[in-house]
Amino acid sequence: MKKKILSVLMAGALCTGLLAGCGGGKEASTSGSQAADNAATAADDNTLTVWCWDPAFNINAMNEAAKVYQKDHPDFKLNVVETPWADLQTKLNTAGVAGDLSTLPDIFLMQDNAFWKNQISFPDVFANLTETKAFDFTQFAPGKLAYSTVNGVNYGVPFDNGTVIAAYRTDILEQAGYTVADLTDIDWDKYIEIGKDVLAKTGKPLLSCQANEADIIMIILQSTGASLFDDKGDPNIVGNETLKKALETYKKLKESGVMILVNDWDQYITTMNTETVAGTINGCWIMGSIRAAKDQSGKWAVTNLPKLAGVGEQTNYSNNGGSSWAVNAGSKKKDLAVDFLAKTFAGSTELYDNILPSGALATWLPAGGTEAYAEKVEFFGGQQVYSLLTDFASKTPKNNTGVYYYEARDAVAAAATNIIAGADVDSELKTVQDTVNFAMGK
Amino acid sequence: MGNKKKLSLSQKQNISGWIFLTPATVLIAVMSFYPMIRAIILSMQSGVGAKISFAGLTNYKRMFADAIFMQSLKNTFIYLIVQVPIMLLFALLLASLLNDKHLRFKGLFRTCIFLPCATSLVSYAIIFRSLFAVDGYINTVLVNLGILHTGYNFLSNPFAARIVIIIALLWRWTGYNMVFYLAGLQNIEYSIYEAAKIDGATYFQILRKITIPLLKPMILLTAIMSTNGTLQLFDESVNLTSGGPANATITMSHYIYNSSFKYVPNFGYSAAMSFFILILVAVLATIQMKVGDKRD
Repeated sequence: MKKKILSVLMAGALCTGLLAGCGGGKEASTSGSQAADNAATAADDNTLTVWCWDPAFNINAMNEAAKVYQKDHPDFKLNVVETPWADLQTKLNTAGVAGDLSTLPDIFLMQDNAFWKNQISFPDVFANLTETKAFDFTQFAPGKLAYSTVNGVNYGVPFDNGTVIAAYRTDILEQAGYTVADLTDIDWDKYIEIGKDVLAKTGKPLLSCQANEADIIMIILQSTGASLFDDKGDPNIVGNETLKKALETYKKLKESGVMILVNDWDQYITTMNTETVAGTINGCWIMGSIRAAKDQSGKWAVTNLPKLAGVGEQTNYSNNGGSSWAVNAGSKKKDLAVDFLAKTFAGSTELYDNILPSGALATWLPAGGTEAYAEKVEFFGGQQVYSLLTDFASKTPKNNTGVYYYEARDAVAAAATNIIAGADVDSELKTVQDTVNFAMGK
Repeated sequence: MGNKKKLSLSQKQNISGWIFLTPATVLIAVMSFYPMIRAIILSMQSGVGAKISFAGLTNYKRMFADAIFMQSLKNTFIYLIVQVPIMLLFALLLASLLNDKHLRFKGLFRTCIFLPCATSLVSYAIIFRSLFAVDGYINTVLVNLGILHTGYNFLSNPFAARIVIIIALLWRWTGYNMVFYLAGLQNIEYSIYEAAKIDGATYFQILRKITIPLLKPMILLTAIMSTNGTLQLFDESVNLTSGGPANATITMSHYIYNSSFKYVPNFGYSAAMSFFILILVAVLATIQMKVGDKRD
């Protein structure tokens, strides 16, 4: 009998241990990194936790910002947790739906394209930065600022620059008898004309793009100041002349052979690094990948992108990608987080000079005037690339991302694929509009 | 102690039986059943992000009007109808070949065919993507053999992209099913085969009259597992084709992921679509059991 009681007791102890283990394990794993950082943060009012994803880029920028801030605030500490964007989005969704903001850090980086979507979905997560009066938002490039401004309120501090550049291989253009000046301030018709000539003479297309992605179409759209949504947030697709023209241009680019399509990002980078193409058009962060091919140093040059003639603002400037810092509204150290961002990313030219070598270009306009930005970059044939880009950024038209940006963008990408395969543009636009309306529950 | 003595032996055994069952039952209830019930409740709610409210069966009605979900359903069934029978047939042929007593290096062949199963789903999908790229291995071979002039972009054509996914699935899962058949074949007396051979039965007669009938429970098992796996297909759609071109290869699970994490989060709708998959799996498994199992 005793043995029996003992065994029951032991089995019971095992179960309790197991359950406790599970409970404890769950807590530790959901918070993973956070258990450690919160332990450090909770005890200390001078430590901020930050989530961002790129060690060479935005994590580096955050650490540099901490150094700048520490000069006036010696007690200040920063705990940067590397969190890939996909994970950050998943964690944000989970915390947002559960309504438990304590699992989120004090500051997190947000993809510009996802900013509206997340602010509208989880309004309690984002601190109202206009209200704090700590920032002078007029000092940011307006095209960039619009991404993190929802209903007239600023929820983000703009960080990296997604200003679009057209980069060309000067040596290949020369073989065909062109210079970069011939491709500056032009429109898409001229681009295709020159592109055909270059293709005929050198066998190299001017542009490569990822199939199934709508990057280039969105770039063209923003260069005219047009969006997929109107000011009220309703889809603006059927009857959007700019979008129609952009899709037609896309088709012409493909049919003329000036643009080639590849299936994934790696292949896209490869086309540039292995000289399959003579140029590219993308956000200026693409320069990092271009410069990876060290043997091509001095053979590249940067200029603005072709404009879409005939509709909208018709500029040669646009934006693709980029991110902004957001402050957790539920954070106990919100004031410190706001002050930190205001004195660094919205107030320190020194910071922007320090992070320039990593390719982090300021969208904070006062930073563009420093000496560091006037540096001549050897890789791009001695061009003053940084000051050029700051200039491009200030001329980029605003774009209304909208909450349902990813739905609309995917629908446009599907339409573009069908249009290349021969589908009618107008009926495809109708499909896109229906898809977006459906997603919005209309 | 007086009380306990009144319990009969069977009662005592019952009690200890229940005590042993309790921990597992509690764990399953807390870890599995509770989330399932919450998911059913969630599937009846609708809204954007954190602002969700009760919506009845709206989500279930909504999915039948959703063009992309219907497309993903169609794609998934194409994979199911084309890929599963081919795969099971291949697995059966390979298993019966490798079950031959006189074959040498059997272990080596079995390992080689099973090996794809040990690769990660993501990495094999990425390898297939690069194999079928415009300047990938397959195109290089086809161009050098003179079959094609320039590289063909397999993944940009809806039909070709689906074929690539089916080829990838065949490569990944045939060996897995073969192992089940091999295990089943061990239970079939070799003397039956010998008798058949002495009677002059051909290879296909043996396969049709002996192997398949005796392997029926195993075939049923693999059919149900493959159906279940295909309906939940995710990695190949995400990593190999990104659902493209123009949603021609997107699977249901991929679309559910998009609607939770890529698009404006609508967890209620995602939960409803997940339950739809559950119902499909249950219905298909029931049909297969009814058709395949003739024991009664």
